[in-house]
Formats: sequence, C-alpha cells, structure tokens
Amino acid sequence: MTGLILENVDKHYGTACAVKDVNLHLPEGKLVCFIGPSGCGKTTLLRMIAGLETLSGGEIRLDGEDIGQTPAHLRNFGMVFQSLALFPHMTVGENIAYPLKLRGVGKVEQQARVVELLQLIQLSAMIDRPVSKLSGGQRQRVAIARAIAARPKILLLDEPLSALDAKLRESMQVEIRQLQQRLNITTIMVTHDQREAMTMADIVVVLGEHRVQQVGTPIEIYRHPANEFVADFIGSGNIFPATVLGGGRVGLPGGESIEVPSCAGVAAGQQVRMLVRPEDLQLSAPEATAGNRLLGTVTFVRDIGSTIETIVECSGVSFTALSTPCQGIGLGVGHAVSVTIPAQACRLL
Amino acid sequence: MSLSSNKRLSILPGETGRFAGILSGFILLLAVLPILTMIVMSFSGASNLDFPPSSYSLQWYRAAWHTFVSPDASDVLSLGKAMTTSLLVACLTMVLATLVAVPAAYALVRCEFRGKALALQLMSLPLVFPMVVLGLALLLVFDSLPLQMSFSRLVIAHVILALPFVVKNCTAAMLSIGSEVEEAAQMLGASPQRAILDVVVPLMKSGILAGMLLAFIVSFNEFTVTYFLYTIDVMTVPIWMYSRTVSSLDPTVFSFAVLIVLIDFVLIWALEKLVGEGGVSF
Repeated sequence: MTGLILENVDKHYGTACAVKDVNLHLPEGKLVCFIGPSGCGKTTLLRMIAGLETLSGGEIRLDGEDIGQTPAHLRNFGMVFQSLALFPHMTVGENIAYPLKLRGVGKVEQQARVVELLQLIQLSAMIDRPVSKLSGGQRQRVAIARAIAARPKILLLDEPLSALDAKLRESMQVEIRQLQQRLNITTIMVTHDQREAMTMADIVVVLGEHRVQQVGTPIEIYRHPANEFVADFIGSGNIFPATVLGGGRVGLPGGESIEVPSCAGVAAGQQVRMLVRPEDLQLSAPEATAGNRLLGTVTFVRDIGSTIETIVECSGVSFTALSTPCQGIGLGVGHAVSVTIPAQACRLL
Repeated sequence: MSLSSNKRLSILPGETGRFAGILSGFILLLAVLPILTMIVMSFSGASNLDFPPSSYSLQWYRAAWHTFVSPDASDVLSLGKAMTTSLLVACLTMVLATLVAVPAAYALVRCEFRGKALALQLMSLPLVFPMVVLGLALLLVFDSLPLQMSFSRLVIAHVILALPFVVKNCTAAMLSIGSEVEEAAQMLGASPQRAILDVVVPLMKSGILAGMLLAFIVSFNEFTVTYFLYTIDVMTVPIWMYSRTVSSLDPTVFSFAVLIVLIDFVLIWALEKLVGEGGVSF
C-alpha cells in the first residue's frame, strides 16, 4: 500500500498523554491538514512523523516500509518549522544548498539546483543575502525552498504561516498550494486556522482531546461533522438540544417544533443534539410561527462590514444568524424577528 | 500651585544627577588608582620604592630591557623563559578549557539529567573557593602522585580556574540558540553530531571566542594558585615578578607590569570587539 500509514500511534510523556491510538492513511501527492485546538497533539503527531519524537506505541509505514524507528536525518522528509529555523550564519544560497551538501552533491549541481529553486520562489536576486536581511514572506519562501531542495518524499509544515500578517498569509496559502500541486509532493500541514485548512487541504484531519475526531475533505468536515466536537470546532455553529417527536419532527426546548426529515429514523422521545450553520438561517420581518419559521427576539447585533451577525432568542435557544448587508432588515436589540430554519440544513449530531 | 516648566524638580529615568556622577567618578578612580601608581612608579628616577618618586627618568625601562635581553646570572630564572612558560600555559589552558566547556555548555542547556543543578553549582565553585586553599589542596594532590609534572600541573590548575568563565560564556551563547535550528539541520539530512558541528558551534562562535580570551587572561595573570605549584625551573611571569620584587626592591617590575597591563588591555579590547555589546560575562 502506498502513502503514509499511521497505525495505533501512541505518545505519552510519563503519565501525560499527548496522542492516543491514531490510525491514518495519507495517500500520495495530497495536502493533508492536521487541525485542532492548542494542546490537542497535532504538533506532536507531526514531530513523530518527522522522527523528532519517539513513538510510545504503534507503527508508521511509508510505502509499506516501517519507518517508526528511523532517525530523522535518514527519513528524507522536508520540514518547515514554525520559527522557520533558517541558519542565520549562512546566506540564502547556502541555506538552500545545505541539504545537497550533506548528500554529497557536486558544487556545480548544487548551484544549479539552488538557482532553479530560487527561480521557483522568485527570489533569484537574493542568493547571496544573509537571511537576516529578508522580509517575513521572503524567509518563508526560503524555508520552503530549503525543505524541498533534496526532493524529500514528504513535506511537513508546522504552522508555517502563523508569523505572517493576514494579507501575506493568504497569498502564501495560495503559493504553497500551487507549489505542492506542481511538485505533486505529499504534504502534511499543522494549523489551528480553519480557514487555512479549508482553503488549502485535500484532506482535513480534525484532532481533539489527543485523538482523531474526523478525517475527510474540507466540505465533508464542514457539512457532515462526525460529532459535536467537530461541529463546534470547525466553523461557527448553532448547536442545540432537541427531543425527537417522531414523523420527522423535533421539539425545541421552548416547546415549539420544527420539521427535520433526517430524524425520521430516530425513536420518538429520544434526546438529541442538532447543528445548524449561521449562514443557513434566514431572518425576515416578524410573522406568526408557521412550519420551520419561528418567532424570536433579537438579543445582539454585530455588523462587521462584510456580514451582519444577529443573535436571536427563539424557543429557548440562542441562534446566531449571518446575513449580508443587503439582506439586512435593520434589526436592533429587542426587535421581534422571524427565523426560518431550512429543514435540510439541520444536522443530527 | 505653579510648577515652572524650566526648572525640573526630578530627573527623568536615564538621566544622572550630580551626586551619581561624582560617586561613579570616585569609584572609577579607585579602580584605576593602582594602575596609575604603577605607571608613575615605572618612570621613577630614584632607586627606592618611595611614592611619589623624587625625580623621573626612563632608567627602569632601560633596566627592564637589559634584564630581558641579557639576564643576570644572579637571577634564578630569566624573564624570557618565564614569559615562554606563561604564554605556553595560557595557550594550553585556553584550548583545553574550551574543549571541555563547549560540550559542557551544550549538555547544561540542552539535556535534562539528574544532578544538573549540582553540576551547575560545582562548575562555579572555583570562583568562590579561597585561592590559597585551592593552591594548597592541588599541591597536596600533585605531590602525592608518583609523576613529575612541573609544567602540566600548572596547566591543570589554570584550566580549573578558567573553566567557570568559559562555561558561563558558552552557556550564555548556547541559550540563544533555539533547538529548532538543530532539528532543522537533522531534517535536512545531518546526523545529530553533524548538526552540532554545522549549526550549533558556528552560532556559539562569539561565546566561544569570548571564553577563550578570558581563559587566556585568567591564566596569564594567575598568581596565588601558581605560587603553590611552581618549581624552580618552571615559573610564570607573575611569579617571576614577585620573586624579583622580593629579592631586589627596585621599580624594574613596574616597567614590566606596565607592559603586561598593556597586553591585557589589548586582549580585553579585542574581546569587546569580537563579542560586541553585552556578550561577555565575567
């Protein structure tokens, strides 16, 4: 089986658990994002794949070969660190040539590869600059060029964009994605920025409480979260308790009921938790409750320019709704408003 | 109430008042007083050690030069030989102390091991240990050994004395090197040892150089411990100067001392240049 396979991978420090029973199959040529809250073990997992941490249990296999005990310097993986870890005593060219020098590549070939990589990252003029004279984005690109110089089997990125400002970060996201697709290199990126994960990844691995919570494409993760943890962590969501009434209807805490066809198979009387995304909720002028349109009261309004976030208290649940300024109906705190919950937008968790 | 703007009642942070200025001037004067005395005495025209001298001349520099080029038969040992010994001991001390201190600094910063706190304490013990006791203790140890080690025992003693300074400077340099650069080198294909040689040591360079120069200075100026350990045919410059002063009380030693202080000044200046501001810890 090709690709990188993690089987029952465990890591604990003394009695403290960092990563527990991780099973993953990362196919070749894909960009995989590990995402999760701080301290969920995503960086530890990446460092174990890199060979910078030992495994407490389990196996890591690359194209069928067990590499769990192989030291980091023999794995031929490229890695970009959070701090970038460029060598301050070397120039840009020397930094990129370092992995080639270690592999005994001839001077002429080294030089050719460095020039090629600098063209790729559009920094050809910087070859003899010390790395301290570069801007944040330039350093970022040099770190990536150095990591891929020796044509590694896998590229590992540990929150590589966290030090950049928002604008630069977005353009680097696109650049890294394009580079990854052009080189067709298996890439694992750790991030805590879900926008980054959504826009860049082929596969997202959501980690939480030291375990894998869900593996899937970004859209799968967003539209079909496997559990409440994923629903809550990815995107913003309205998660609320409900009681199944049977016949595809659920009752809200306030006594009103809405139609949710996906609940048809659940026994009546069972307590469940539901998810509805803020952008799926529709606000309209107050009308009497009918079908999935409920009457509520506005408790909070926040206009952040591109969208307006409105919190509506409705049948014992606080719903957050997003609307664009042109959809805005001039709501203020205390106003009555109707909320429509589209039946197909409700997910059973 | 009126607070006139052109007359400030308090001084701003970073400004010194007159009292602080006078105080620091006085302390600086105390620090250089012995050196000034020595310089004045080296130009004395009299043949005794009265201060201030009754007249001034260059006769002691002439005498010093004479002693250096054609040593007196009455001298127990020539200055040239003492100088050679001093330089050799200082150079060996510098090299050996650095070879010990660099790995020690690496271990003290990077590794977690039992007794690390104790090791740190023991490392700086020679700084607070009474020199006379240390000299005596070393003499007892070396004399109990069946080996004749008149030269090497000076080197060993000086390495012990120089080590805290070198380790301190190397540790300070090591602390500023993140473990990620080392890991980055490993990810790029360097073995752990190669990563240290290619990345850690070059980044420690200024700390290592500072430590080396300090070791040289410590060894070159060392007197107390050396006094216990020197032998009649192996002595260093400070010992030679002391015996010279005791045997013939004339200001020749002051002219030598001026030269030695000049050498020290150059070394310390070089140290500051090499390491830049705030790099050296004594």
